[in-house]
Amino acid sequence: MAQTLKLVKKVSQFTRLIPELGVKLGLKGKERTSSGLTDLPGPSTLSFLTELFCKGGLSRLHELQIQDSARFGPIWFASFGPVRTVYLAAPALIEQLLRQEGPYPERCSFSPWVEHRRRCHQACGLLTAEGDEWQRIRSLLAPLLLRPRASADYAETLDGVVCDLVRLLRRKKSLLGGSADLVRDVAGEFYKFGLEGIGAVLLGTRLGCLEPEMPPETDTFIRAVSSVFVSTLLTMAMPNWLNRLLPGPWDRLCRDWDQMFAFAQKHMELRKAEAATKSIGEPKNANVSRPHLTHFLFQKELPYASILGNITELLLAGVDTVSNTLSWVLYELAHHPEIQTALHAEITGAMAPGSSTHPPATTLAQLPLLRAVVKEVLRLYPVVPGNSRVPDKDICVGDYIIPKKTLVTLCHYTTSRDPDQFPEPNAFHPERWLGGQSAPHAFASLPFGFGKRSCIGKRLAELELNLALAQILIHFEVRPEPGAGIIKPMTRTVLVPERSINLKFVNR
Amino acid sequence: MAALGSTRLLLAASAAFGAASRRCFLLAGARAGAGRPGWHGLPKQGSAACSGASRCFSLSAPSRRSSEDKITIHFINRDGDKLTTQGKVGDTLLDVVVNNNLDIDGFGACEGTLACSTCHLVFEDHIFEKLEAITDEENDMLDLAYGLTDTSRLGCQICLTKSMNNMTVRVPEAVADARQSIDLGKNS
Repeated sequence: MAQTLKLVKKVSQFTRLIPELGVKLGLKGKERTSSGLTDLPGPSTLSFLTELFCKGGLSRLHELQIQDSARFGPIWFASFGPVRTVYLAAPALIEQLLRQEGPYPERCSFSPWVEHRRRCHQACGLLTAEGDEWQRIRSLLAPLLLRPRASADYAETLDGVVCDLVRLLRRKKSLLGGSADLVRDVAGEFYKFGLEGIGAVLLGTRLGCLEPEMPPETDTFIRAVSSVFVSTLLTMAMPNWLNRLLPGPWDRLCRDWDQMFAFAQKHMELRKAEAATKSIGEPKNANVSRPHLTHFLFQKELPYASILGNITELLLAGVDTVSNTLSWVLYELAHHPEIQTALHAEITGAMAPGSSTHPPATTLAQLPLLRAVVKEVLRLYPVVPGNSRVPDKDICVGDYIIPKKTLVTLCHYTTSRDPDQFPEPNAFHPERWLGGQSAPHAFASLPFGFGKRSCIGKRLAELELNLALAQILIHFEVRPEPGAGIIKPMTRTVLVPERSINLKFVNR
Repeated sequence: MAALGSTRLLLAASAAFGAASRRCFLLAGARAGAGRPGWHGLPKQGSAACSGASRCFSLSAPSRRSSEDKITIHFINRDGDKLTTQGKVGDTLLDVVVNNNLDIDGFGACEGTLACSTCHLVFEDHIFEKLEAITDEENDMLDLAYGLTDTSRLGCQICLTKSMNNMTVRVPEAVADARQSIDLGKNS
C-alpha cells in the first residue's frame, strides 16, 4: 500500500512538470466525438488533469462529482485519461439511462482489467465479461446468488464465519492493554471477514483468515485487492503515453491480478481433488461437506478458465465491499449511541424467547431499523461512488442525445447526497427510511445498481451485513476512539475510509 | 438531538413502520390467519419466507399437474393488444410469459432474480387483494418500476392460483424514454 501511494506521488510530480504535453495528447480523441456531445459543458482537459494528479483528485473523485455538478449542472462531459465520458448527476437522468439498457448492458468499453485478461491469457469473469459471454455466466450465477430464497441457503455457512469474527474482535481488543477494548483499523479486520465469507460460499471451505495465525496467502490476496484498486484508477486516469512512460501502475495491476488468480486456482484445484476423492467412495471430509458455487460450476461444464476467472473476480468483489460498509455502519453507530441502543433493542427483541443468541437471517432481513441503518450507510458511503455504462444505441438523456458506445459515468455519490432528495444530506439519519417523510427519487440512492447488470452479490452482502451486525451488537457496545475526530471517505476505485477507523468494543 | 428522546422516536418509528407494513400486507391480501411477523420478528410461522418456500417454482420446475390445472390469463400489452394464454398453477407470471413466448418487449430482463422491474404488471383490484404478501425485496424493486400504480406487482413473484383463472393483467409502459430516443434517432 505504502509503495503504491508513493507511486501516486511520483506520477503527480511528473504530470505537474508536463501538463501541456498531457493536454495536447489527451485531446487527440476529440475528433472522433459526435457533435451532439460538444454542446455539453465540462472542464477543460488541462484543468481536469491538474485536478486529478496535482490536487489529489484521484482519491477525491467522489467529491469532484459534487464539485463539477455544482459548476456544470446535472450533465457534463470530460476526459478521464484516454477516455471521454459523459457524467450524469441527477436521479431522473440516471433513471432515463438505465431504463434504456439493452439486452447486454456494458459497463466499460475500456478497462485495464480486461486488458490484463487479454495479455495474460485469462478468461473474463462476471465483472469484466461483456455480451453473450457475460449473459451466459450471469444466467448461471444469478439464480444461485441473487434469488432471495437461494441466497438464504448460505446463512448457516456465514453464521459460522460471523462467530469467528466475534472471537477475532475479542482477541484484538485484548491485545492493546493500555487502551482497553480498542480495535485498530476495523476495516482491516473486516477484509478478513469478507474473504472468509465469500470463500466459504464460493469454495465451500474455510480459509482460516479469522484464526490467530492467518495463512500468509490470504493476507497476500487481501493486499492484492487493495492494491489493484489503486493501480486501476491510476492506469485508467493516465493517458496512454504516460502509462508507457511510467509502467509502474500497470505492472502492479498485473502482479496483483496474477496473485489473485493464483490464489483462486490453488483452491479450485483442491476442490477438484476433493470431488475426485469423494466420487471414488472415500469418506466425507467434515471440513468441506457443504455445497458450494465452484462445485456447481464444475457440474455445468463451463470451461476451466472461465470458472477460474469468475471465482477470482467474485472473491475480489467479496472483500472490499461488505467490509467497508460494515466499518461505516459501526463508525456511525459509535457516534450515534441512541440509534445503536434502538438497533440493539430491535435485534435482541427479534430473538425467539429461550432460543440461542442467533436471530434467524430471515427475521433479521425484516427488521425495519436494521434495514434503515444499512440503507442510510450505503447512501452516505456507496461502495461504488461512480458506476458506468456504455449504451448500445443512441439514447436521449435530458436534452441531449448520447451516441452509442459513449462511456457514461453515473454519479451515485452526488445523487445520494443531494440536499433536494435528502435533507441534511451529510448527516446520518436512518429514520428517513422509516416512512412518514416525503420519499426521495427512487434512483437517488442506488448502492447496488439497477437492472440485469446490477450487483450480483447484493443478497449475499445484505446477509453478511445483517448477520455480522446482529452478532457484533449482541456481544459488544461499540464506542468511538476518544479524540479520533471525523473520518471521511476517499475513492480507491471503491469508496473506503481515508484513514483507519479505530473503535472500542465494550463487552455487553 | 436528545439521546433518549430520539431513541424513543426511533423505536416508535420502527414499531409504527412494522404495524403499517403489516396493515399493508393484510390489505394486500395475505391469507386469512397467516400473519406476518412484525419488526419484533416472531417465529416465522406463516411468514413470507415460509410461504415463499412453498410457492416459488423455478422456470425448470417439473410439473406434476394435469391439464385441468391450466389457468387462462389475458395480458394487455403496451400497445393495447390482448394476449391470451395459459399457465399452470404454481408457475410465476414470468414463467407464463417465457414459456409461451409472449412478445412483451424487455419483459423479465433479470430472469426472475429481483434485480430489475421489467416484469412490472398491473392487476385488477379483486385479484390484487388476494395476492400473497409482498416481500421487502420485491417492494424495494417495485419502487424502481416505471408507472407504478396502487395495484402493481412484479410478475416474477406472483404464482398462479386457481382463483386467477381468466384474470387480466396490464403491462405498463416501461421504456417510454427509449421510444422517444428511437424517434429522435430517426429524425437525426
